[in-house]
Order: sequence, then C-alpha cells, then structure tokens
Amino acid sequence: MEKSQRRQRAPIVEAIRVDKISGGTRLVQAIRIVLAVVYAALSLIPVLWIGMTAFKSRPDATAVPPKVFFKPTLEGFVSLLTDRAILLEARRQELLQHLDELPWYQRLMVQQGMEVTGPSQYVGRLKNSMIIAGVSTVAAVVLGLLAAYAFSRFPVPGKGDLLFFILSTRMLPPVVVTIPIFLMYRRLGLHDTHIGLILLYTVFNLSFSVWLMKGFLDEIPREYEEAALVDGYTRLQAFFKVVLPNSLSGLAATTVFCLIFAWNEYAFALMLTTDKARTAPPSITTMLGRGGIEWASIAAGSLGFLIPVVLVTFALRKYLLRGVTFGAIRQ
Amino acid sequence: MKKLALLLVLLMVLPLAACGPAATTPPAAQPTTAPAVKELTIMWAQWDPADYLQKIGQLYEQETGIKVTVIQEPWGSFYNRVAAEWAAHGTAFDMVVGDSQWLGQAATQGHYLELTDFLKSEGIDKTVTEATLTYYGEYPTGSGRYWAYPTEGDAVGWAYRKDLFENPEEKAAFKAKYGYDLDVPKTWEQLYQIAEFFTRPDKGLYGVAIYTQKDYDGITMGFENVFFSWGADWKDPKTNEVKGWVNSPQAVEALEFYRKLYAFAPPGSSNDFFAECNNHFTAGEVAMAMNYFAFFPALSNPATNPYASVTGFFAVPAGPTGQRFAALGGQGLSINAYISPERQEAAKNFIRWFAREDIQRKWAEFGGYTCNKAVLASDAFLKAQPYNPAFADTMQVVKDFWNVPVYGQLLEVVQRELQAYVVGGQGTAKEVLDRIAEEHDKILRQAGLIK
Amino acid sequence: MALWSATQSVGSDRSARTGIRRRQLSDRAIQWLFIAPTLILLVAMNIFPLFYSLFLSFTNYSAISAAAPVWVGLGNYQHILSDKQLWTYFATTGRYAVAAVGLETLLGFGLAMLLREKFRASGFITTLILVPMMLSPVVVGLFWKLIFNPQSGIFNYLLGFAAGQGPDWLKDPKLALWAVVIVDVWMWAPFVMLLCLSGLNAIPEYLYEAAVIDRASPWFQFWRITLPQVAPLLLIAVLFRTIEAFKAFDLVMGLTGGGPGDATELIAVNLYRIAFPPQFQTGLGSALAYIILVLIVAISNLYIRSLSRIRGEV
Repeated sequence: MEKSQRRQRAPIVEAIRVDKISGGTRLVQAIRIVLAVVYAALSLIPVLWIGMTAFKSRPDATAVPPKVFFKPTLEGFVSLLTDRAILLEARRQELLQHLDELPWYQRLMVQQGMEVTGPSQYVGRLKNSMIIAGVSTVAAVVLGLLAAYAFSRFPVPGKGDLLFFILSTRMLPPVVVTIPIFLMYRRLGLHDTHIGLILLYTVFNLSFSVWLMKGFLDEIPREYEEAALVDGYTRLQAFFKVVLPNSLSGLAATTVFCLIFAWNEYAFALMLTTDKARTAPPSITTMLGRGGIEWASIAAGSLGFLIPVVLVTFALRKYLLRGVTFGAIRQ
Repeated sequence: MKKLALLLVLLMVLPLAACGPAATTPPAAQPTTAPAVKELTIMWAQWDPADYLQKIGQLYEQETGIKVTVIQEPWGSFYNRVAAEWAAHGTAFDMVVGDSQWLGQAATQGHYLELTDFLKSEGIDKTVTEATLTYYGEYPTGSGRYWAYPTEGDAVGWAYRKDLFENPEEKAAFKAKYGYDLDVPKTWEQLYQIAEFFTRPDKGLYGVAIYTQKDYDGITMGFENVFFSWGADWKDPKTNEVKGWVNSPQAVEALEFYRKLYAFAPPGSSNDFFAECNNHFTAGEVAMAMNYFAFFPALSNPATNPYASVTGFFAVPAGPTGQRFAALGGQGLSINAYISPERQEAAKNFIRWFAREDIQRKWAEFGGYTCNKAVLASDAFLKAQPYNPAFADTMQVVKDFWNVPVYGQLLEVVQRELQAYVVGGQGTAKEVLDRIAEEHDKILRQAGLIK
Repeated sequence: MALWSATQSVGSDRSARTGIRRRQLSDRAIQWLFIAPTLILLVAMNIFPLFYSLFLSFTNYSAISAAAPVWVGLGNYQHILSDKQLWTYFATTGRYAVAAVGLETLLGFGLAMLLREKFRASGFITTLILVPMMLSPVVVGLFWKLIFNPQSGIFNYLLGFAAGQGPDWLKDPKLALWAVVIVDVWMWAPFVMLLCLSGLNAIPEYLYEAAVIDRASPWFQFWRITLPQVAPLLLIAVLFRTIEAFKAFDLVMGLTGGGPGDATELIAVNLYRIAFPPQFQTGLGSALAYIILVLIVAISNLYIRSLSRIRGEV
C-alpha cells in the first residue's frame, strides 16, 4: 500500500529535493551507490584480512610484503580447536615415521612440531557466549522496550531524573565496578556462573536499550494509539497491536547493539568467570605467546566468533533498515 | 512480522533451554576438609612449562594416588586471576607458581604460606642455587624468610643466527669493517656493532629484536640487561635510596645505549615483548633476538622456527667495566595461605617430593628450567638443549626489579618514561632518568621504604 | 500496513469493548509495571558496586591487601587533582574523543545520507558496512597492530608505500593517537550511520512535500527538516560514543598498550593500570573513576539539554 503511493508521488518529490539525494538524475544516484560500495569494500578489507589470515601458515601470516595470494592451510583452525604440546625431538621422529597412520589434523600439527593432546575449550566457550549474550540481549531489549514505552508515553514523575539515573549506570568506567561486583558475586555465589554474567550484561545494556527504544518510540506519533484507544482498545492492546509493530525497526537496532556488546564484552568476563561460564573473548587472546603469536589461530577464533553476530544482523537486516515508515499513513 | 516474532521467540527459548542446566548447577563445591586430600591444584600461566608441570603431576599421581591438576590461565589474565583469589581469600587453587615480583605483595598481605621452616628443616633451601632462592623465594630480600620453592628459573638471554655469523663472506666483511672477528658478542659494544653490521633494510634484515612493550614490564625487562651490566642499579642496596642510583651517569649511558640499539630493530617493533621477539626471529628479520629462556624451545624447534638448525644461543654480554647481569624472569611455587591445614600439609608433601633431585632431573628432562644446583651442573642438563649452557651461565648473573608491594607503581613510571624515550624518541636519557628517580623517591617515601 | 491490521482487530474486539474497559489496568499501573523491572534490576545490581566503590574512593584500600580499608578522606582526590601526569591523560582522552566522535559523526551521517534512498542491494551493503562494529575490540586491537605494521601490514600498502617505507604508525608519538582514532572510527562510524539511517527513515514525507510546495531550497530542507529530525537519534549516537570514548580501554590495550610513552595513554587505560595488576590501588582507582564519572555526567548533561531543546521538551 505504501509502496504504490510512494511510486505515484515520486516524480514530484525527487525533482526538487536534493538533500534527500534521491537525485532525479541517474548520475547522482550512481555516485551515491559507488561511494557507498567503495566505503563498504574499504572497510571490509581488515575483516577480510582476518579471514585470510585464518587460513595462512605461520610464516605467511607475517610475510613481508604482506601476502594476498597464499596456499591456504587449516593449521589455524586445528590450533584453535585443539590443545597441543610441543614435541620433543625423539617423539617427533617417532611420529614422523608413522605420519600416514595419523588423523589429518594430527599430521598437520606434527609437521608443526606439535602434538594434539585433546580438544580445546573454544567450542565450549563459544557456547557460553551464545547462552549469555543471547539471554541477556533478549532480557535487555524486552525490559528496555517496556520502560521506554512508559517513559515515552506517560507523565512519569521525576522522568528526567529517572532517565538520567538509568543512563548514569553506564557512565562509570567498568574497570572500577569490577572489584565490588567481583566481591559481591563471590558472596552471592554468582561468580563463574552463566546467570551472573547474564544479569550483568542485561543491566549493562538496559540503559542503552531504554534510551534507544525511547528515541524510536518518541518518533511514533501518539495519534496512532489515541485513535486505537478511541476505537476501544485497552492501553495494553494498543501497545501490542499498534506500538509494537511500529517499533520493530527500533527493536531490531537495539537487539543488534545489545547483542554486539554482550557478545564482545571482555573485561567483566575476564574477572568474573574462570572456567565454567567463561566466554570466548578472553580466550581468543590465549593463543598469544606460546613462543610466538599464532596469528592464524587467533584469526580463526575471531572469525568463528564473528560469524554468529553477522548472521543475526543479516537476519534482522530487513527490520534494522526499514525504519519507521508511517509518514505515508499519517497523511 | 510473524517471522520476526518467531525469531524473537527462538532467540528467547533456545538459550534458555540451553542454559537451564548450566545455570542451575550449584557453585563449585568447596574443597572438602576431609583429612585425606585426594587431589591438588596448581595455578600457573598458560605456556609450555605448565604442560611439563602437568606431566610431573602425573608422576606424582602414579606414586601417591593424589591427582595433581595444573590450571593454566593466559599470561594476560594470569595475575588478575590470582589476585582475584587473593582478594576473595579464595581456595580455587592450592599452590601457585607466581612471578618473582609478586613476593612482596603476597608475603606482606599473607596470601602465601611462609615456607621458611619447611624449606630449611627439609634442607630444600640448600638444593637450589642461591640466586634463585633469593629472587624466587625470599622476602624481604636478605631476611632469610622464604615464601616459595624456586621452580622455573628464567632470565633474558639471546638467540642468534649461526648461518649469518659463520658465513665466511660476512666474517671477512665484518673483520674489514670493525677489525675483529665476527663471533658471539662478548660485550654490549660488540653486540651493538654486530647489530649495526647486519641491519640491511633493503634486504629486510635487521640487527636485533629487543623488548619495547609498554604494558606491564616489557621494556623494563629488556633495558635492565643493559642497565645492570653498565653497573647501574635501581637503589642503594642498604638504604633503598634511589636518587643518584637510578639516574647515575652509568644509567644514563646505558639508556642512551638501549635507544641506539633500538635503531637496529625492524620497523613495527615499537611494542614488542617475548612473542613479538620470537616472531621477528622466526620470520628471519633479525640476526639476534633477546628473549626469556622459557621462550627458546620454540626457536630450537624446526617446526616453529625455519632457522632452528642454524639458531644459536648466548648469555648476556658484558658492560663497559666487564660487569654482566641478566634481567630475571621465572617463578617460584607457593602455597595458598587460605586452604585448610590438611591441604597445606598435602601441598608441602608435593613440594618435598618435587624438590627431590631425581624429580628435578625429570623436570629438566621434560623441559622445565630447574633451579636445582646438582641438576644444573650436570652434564646431561648442559647437553640436553642447545640453549642450556647459556641458561646455566646466565642464572649465575641474574638481577631483578623491585619486588616490594609498591613495585607496580614503580614499574609504571619506568615503563612510561623508558618507552617515551626509547620508542617515542622524546627527551634525553638524563631527563628521563631524573624523572624516574624523582617519582620513585616519592612513591618509596610514601610507602615508608625510604626513611 | 500497521494501521490496516489495527483496524481489522479493532473490528473483532468492538463487541467486547465496554466490558474490557472496566477491568483493564489503569495507565498509572501500566506505567509502573513497565518501568519497575528495569529500575529494580538497575538499582539492585548497581547500588552496592556504586556505593562500595564510592566508599573505597575515600580509603587507601587495595584489593589484594589483607588490611581493612583505612579512611583517608579526600586524600585520593587531592592526589589525582594534583597529579599532572593524570591530566595529560585526560587531555589525551579529550583529543581522542573529539577526533574520534567528530569523525564518526561526519562519516556516519554522510553514509546514512548515501544509503538513505534504497537501491538494489542497499540493505546488503548497509549490513556489510556494519560488520567492523561486530568484532571484539580486543581482536580489533590485535589485528590492527598487524595491519599497521610497516613491513608486513597492509595499511601502508593500501596507502601506496613499499615495505618499510611508510610511516610507523604505532611508533611515532604524533601518529599513534591518530592510529587509534582511525581504528575507532572504522569500527564505530557504522554505529552512527545506523542510528542516523533510522532517524532519516522516520522523517515523515509530508514535511518535505510541504517544503516542496513552499518552494523551499534543498539547502533549507536539509537544515530545517532533515537535520532537526535526525538530531535526536544522532545525539544519542554521539552521546553513547562520547561516553564510550572516556571508557575506551580494550582497543588501545591491544593496539598500542598506551604507548609510545604516554602518547595513547587514555584515562581509562591508566585507570586500569592503577586499579588492577600490578598496582592494585583500588581506593585511588575508585576516586579516579568517580572523577571520570563526574566528567561524563557533565558532558552527558550538555548533550541531553540540547537533545531536549531539539525535541522541544523541558
């Protein structure tokens, strides 16, 4: 419905409006697209580089000049997913003689002078990340949406102060609250538990989620709900049937941001978890410093860690980018 | 809309389902205080020596039935994790292989169990070299009170490329230029000239890889080798007075030297520590690299270092007056003061067993850097690895940074000032060291360490 | 579309309408029902850490000390306010915040303007642009170190330098902060873009149509319609980025470690050094954190005031 309206109207609008560079001329449109694509391409180079490094051998990763073409290897991934021990010479010779009988990953590592001793904790930590980031994101977004709606629509007493309080919870550098939180968690038995980190990330994201959602909800004209109320909706019905569908874009954006934060958080995870609930970010850096930087396996770890967020973002992209397009209806 | 709702529901339900059991499991059971201790845990950083220690632990289990687990935490968070346990008076580990510099903090605050009587009555204190007992075990220095069993000896040494050093053409060219034979440097001056000689940016080859890292203690540990060898020191050994010591003329010369040496490091080595130094070396970018001995196994392993067969090792060269000192790394094994008496006893039993000469021999065999006098002097040890002779030599001349509880504050000043001068090229050596002396004086006076 | 579905369900509900009216929750009840969980959670999780660290900021406490905290009054605050070194860190942080947030705003807004009008695959392109933001800052710091390497890094290559010929970004004290800014902008400009894009999409068409009828110039439309309408979301983006700039820590730690010297020593990085290994000056660190907090609160207040002005709220 909107689309057809817009199409009919388009010629008049586009002829004059330059700022909303919908450019009557194809040239302007083409320039816009080219600029956007060029930026996207440039900004993806480092990401691409991480992706390439994940498949590089150790010397290739730091070759001078940097190698764009190289022989891909799975060394990085094997190192990432396994625990290894450096082989003493005698053992190495022994294994080299039976190279063909070894599984492929063992073969790869023996050639590296190492022996696979077992699976690494990477997968388990990735799973922890999924649980913790997933639950805390949903919680932060849902709670944030509700609170934001109340702040946006009702004359909450002390609104400004409350909102500022909510925002202020994000202002204190986390480095400092870590110690009290650590002590508190130890006392409450929340240390190194999933629920502990979930609570913390939810709280940490709440301020952001409330503020962002309020921004989106403020943009939705009150007239919608008022019309619905007049039509006999209850406030809750109006909220679920009118406001919620219109705030999808805001919800998607908030979800993505909260997810990204919770997914990548490093300092708290480092201090408040040791093993059972440890997430992936503190463990990606563990590949550092075993006699040299294992760039390939850090890259592989980063890549594996990036993919889930990218997938979620792409899944939500329609809502993320749609925006709140009710201008037409309002007319 | 429906799809989104479905997705949201999925997002909500999936993790909940997955986290259910995980989140509801009770917090880790506290170690029971049952008299029979069936397992022991040792906390250490995540690196190869910890794997070797795990092997030692397996031997212990075979002999006694007590399971020993080595918990490994990445270097970046190792200190954090241990300190967190201290803060909470936690019992997550029975023993910790802690850095030499922590001794002051851990001993004065009661986080480590005092081992003086134990080590002495068992005669264990006599089995390790004096330097290691002092640096890894004793606090305050000279007091005769011990808090750790020297476990992993370590210090800064050098790796070099034999193929370059022994190449006849290079040798001839070097002789022509400097008037003496190209060989393993005996003095810092020679090391400098060799570094200069091999610095060939057009070929992608540089003289040295040295520590320059800002975080924690990187650049300080590199500079100390020069600093001590020039005859400088951080303090008056008797009064702790720093002014006139930290900024002595020798110290100024030493710092100027370190910056001159940095000019022969490859581009991009502005924030280098052990991993980066090894990387430069294995990439064939440098003729010589400084590093802790603990990181040399990777350099003598043909799989991790393509130049392994032509890699040699040497101990720290001598300063202008012939003095020779290497910056100390390494750790001692301490007992967590917060565990139950039964567990403390069990931990002591482990240390008693671990300190036995035959076990220390095993420890060295697996790749651990033993501090045991007899093992260090044994022929078998010296021949076991190409870097072992240099290691045994170095361990005679080690020296360390402050290990007082405020060492962190002292360290931050040094790190900041040194890096600004050496890497950033700001100020003069004299200014830098004057500032360090000034601030150290203030910190130490505040802590009551200078009267 | 939304309205359409609304009318549909209204039709079906209409019969029961009067009955429901009486039993439904009052607006007041809903209001508190919606706000309460958030407030309770925030208060419960924040009150202890906030007050405890406030208390600690007046003591000489060290987290690894066995001794109980000793009250030192304003000692820590005095120490910080008279420490020139710390003020250089604040100044560095300020420069970094202005440069990074400024560039992110310009770039983010510019990108949003480019992507505002849909074209084929525009959604795909937009999402691709968001990818840097999804990386972990620790990983980003680490990899950009590799990328900035004058020998084996690609950054200088892309700028057209041969191996070892280009600037050593992380070594030169003048360039190092810019290197951090470049990475921060690369990572977070998409964040600003996304919020701006949502703001732009929310501008009602009729505003432009009215302007067209009034024969307003494109320039006028931009200043009087586009910008004010996007401003609230843009300001939220800027506000959050500014707060983050004062807390920036893991990225710098991975990239430069605060060096060379103190060229990139941001206040949060130094705070970490003070409060954590190897110093563990928890009391002093807490005091510094509160000073940072006051600063952030002041800056946020400025933003929020202009936000309210734009929105016409009081």
